[in-house]
Order: sequence, then C-alpha cells, then structure tokens
Amino acid sequence: MPQIPTDHLEAASTLAVVISSKDPLLFLSDDLRIIAASTSFCRAFEIDPATVSGKRLGELGNGEWAMPKLQSLLTATATGSASVESYEIDLKRPDQKTRQLVVHAQTLDDGDVDHIRLLLAITDVTDMRAAARLKDDLIRDKAILLQEVQHRVANSLQIIASVLMQSARRVQSEEARGHLQDARHRIMSIAALQRQLSASPGGSIELRTYFTQLCQSLGASMIAEPERLSIQVTVDDSIVDAEVSISLGLVLTELVINALKHAFPDDRIGTIAIDYRSSGEDWTLSIADNGIGMPGGEDAPKAGLGTGIVEALVKNLNGVITLTDANPGTVVTISRRETSDVQADLSSAA
Amino acid sequence: MKNGRSVVLVVEDSPIIRMGAVELVLSAGYEALDACDADEAIRILELRDDIDLVFTDVQMPGTMDGIKLSHYIRDRWPPVKLIVASGAAILEESILPGGSRFFSKPYDELTITTAIAHLLASETLHTRSI
Repeated sequence: MPQIPTDHLEAASTLAVVISSKDPLLFLSDDLRIIAASTSFCRAFEIDPATVSGKRLGELGNGEWAMPKLQSLLTATATGSASVESYEIDLKRPDQKTRQLVVHAQTLDDGDVDHIRLLLAITDVTDMRAAARLKDDLIRDKAILLQEVQHRVANSLQIIASVLMQSARRVQSEEARGHLQDARHRIMSIAALQRQLSASPGGSIELRTYFTQLCQSLGASMIAEPERLSIQVTVDDSIVDAEVSISLGLVLTELVINALKHAFPDDRIGTIAIDYRSSGEDWTLSIADNGIGMPGGEDAPKAGLGTGIVEALVKNLNGVITLTDANPGTVVTISRRETSDVQADLSSAA
Repeated sequence: MKNGRSVVLVVEDSPIIRMGAVELVLSAGYEALDACDADEAIRILELRDDIDLVFTDVQMPGTMDGIKLSHYIRDRWPPVKLIVASGAAILEESILPGGSRFFSKPYDELTITTAIAHLLASETLHTRSI
C-alpha cells in the first residue's frame, strides 16, 4: 500500500476501494496531489504504481496530465464552484496516439469537511468512438451501395423498355406490336415499384403512392386523349410487403391495360376507377370501368397472357376474382377473405 | 432549328438506351443528335448553333455528370432547353438549372415527347414575345 504523505490519514478501506476500482480512478487532495491511484489507472495509462503517491497530478508520468483545463476544473470542483460530469479531454503522450477520455470528478463525501478530497474517474472512450465511427461509415457505405444498385436496376429496366419500344416500332404486325407494348407496360409496372421501394425503408410499400404512380405511368403511355379517358385511384393507408405489392401491381397493370384497350372503343368517353381497401388480413381490390361491358357467349374474348398472369398472381395471393356487369361497364373485384376461407374449410370438413 | 425542325441532342452513355432515345426524338418529328458523354456533348454544342434542347442522362463517365453538364449548358448556351433523366428515384429539381425538367428512369416515351414539345413550345412563345 502506498504511503500517504499528508498529515491527514485516510481510512485504509477508502484507499483499498480506490486502488481496486475496476475503472481508472484517482483519489486527490484539494491541492491536486495524488493520495491513491487505482491499479486499473496505472495499467491503462502506463504509470508505475510505486511512483504515484504524493505526486502532483501534473507530475504523473511524463507530465501528460498537466492539462490546464483539467486542473482548473478540478480546482473548481474542490472549491465547490463547479462540478465535472462527463467532461471530454484529449490525453496526448509523446510517440503515442492521442486518447479520448471522458472524466468525471466529485468531492468525496465522507463527512470530513476539513479535508476536501476529490475522486476523478477516467474512461478511455477512444476505441468506443472509433467503433461508432466505423459503424457510421459502414451505414453510409451501405446506403451508397444500395443507391448504386438502384441506379443500375433503373438503368437496366430502361434498357429493356428501350429495346421493347424499338422492336415495337419495327414490327409490321399490329398484334405483335400490341404484345411488345404490353410487355413494356409490365416492365414499367415493376419499375414503378422499384422506384417506390428505393424511397421507402424496410422493404414495405405504401400502396396509395405506388398505385397512383403506376396508374399515372400507364395513363401517360396509353391514354392519348386525357380529356376522354381518365383513371381514378382510391386507396386506404395500407402498407404491404414488397412481395405482395409486386403481385398487386402486376394484377392492376393487366386489368387497367385490358380496360383501356377494350372497354372504350370508338372514342367512347369514360373512367376507370381503382379502389383498394383492407381490414386486418382481408383486402379488396376493384377495377371498375364505365365502358361497353364484357361481351359474353361466343363473342367472349379468348383468354390471353394477361388473364393467365392475373389468375396466377391472384391465386398466389389467396384471392378470389369476381366479374360483375356494372351497366354500363365492368367491375373486376379481387378479394382475400381470411375469415371466409376458414369457414369454407370448416363446412367442407363437416 | 434545322430546316424548320427543332434539334434535340441526346446525351447517354448506354448505347441501347441512346438508340432508343434517338428513335423517340426522331419519331416525335425532331432532328436528333447524340453524344455518349458530357465532353462529346459540349464538342457538338460548340460546333453547331442550331441545338434547341438537350436530353441528358445523369450518371455518365467523363469529366461531368448530367447535372454538371446541364448547369454548364445553361451558363454557356442559355436558350438551350434541358431534360434530365436519372436512375435515381428522387432527384430535387432544385439542383438543376431553372426551367429544366427531371424524369426518373425508366421513363415513359410519351412523357418525354410531351415534355420536349412543351419546352420547345415555350421557347417559340418566348421568342415571339421579344
């Protein structure tokens, strides 16, 4: 145990507590002489424990603790005019990297008012700060990388859309041109989702914005006379997974393309109304047009690729498609009912 | 203007997208020129005085990206109209020169041709009012 060079004797237990402190700790007199230093302090700051006792704080080691700022703060603490809580200082030593320290000083409150003594706790936060910086750097790098990937995806989709458009211009057959243009609309539908995903955290999609953008994009490329045909979008506050939203988006794309192509022949004026609402796991998507209605019987159109895509996706979403004659026009409703599924299962089991 | 037709310069480093953009401009009834980066675009602008509108990509190799190029053009050839397209989903139009339009990729052809028509029409009106 180091000798105490003052006329005042400290309790052995106080000294033992200071010396065995897990975190670097100094026990100082009011004139900033070291009464005791914790073993952890000596080890962390490479100071010989045998030399500390009785020294002034500024004389420790090679004098690196002679920081005027620290001394004035400690003096102020000793006189009770200030307190030092989580004060940051840099410890500079020759041939060593600067360490960032957080210091905390207080007077020892043991009832002995004639002898003011200070406890100075020191935490070396250099490594912690470096780790936090590294983490920030990684997060920033990840964001940049993600942005780069999104640029590439958008560019790739643009290449595909450009190729399809160039092909559509070159083919002679009207039918082939139609198919190429449909393919491009499907690409644009995925692109609208991609755009939305890149702007939303966590891979979930706010359907209202997505459907609105999607219908704007479809309208922009398919509606030559906006005063004749329009698309209205009504969506509640639903937020869905990217996986589900891509299916819903493609279904919507097919049905809107279909309505725009077939419901309004001979310059007929009309509106396509999209409505989506959900409650818990249940949801309903409806695409209603006020066009000529679906021809039935022998005039019924042959199921094309669009129908195949819609059926497959709706099945995958556990949904049911209903076609209703709206007089005028057609309403296609796709709904998913969690509860009715359960009831159906029960009734079939009974 | 060349022979009564507006001239549009397409600046895009991806050859396929460039081809598509040139076709889009031609099919809308304009004269089309193309450059694969900002440096080539500036060389072309220096050689000709009939370019009405520049339709540029943002991410391009070379000394300038499309945003820097659009500012350079606005500075040096103020009457030239600008359309900027980028893979970035959201780009503040405020970082572009005033009056220029931004579209995210993949862009819709009709949207671009409509924007070109609007910008060129505003130019004509502007010239007339002077």
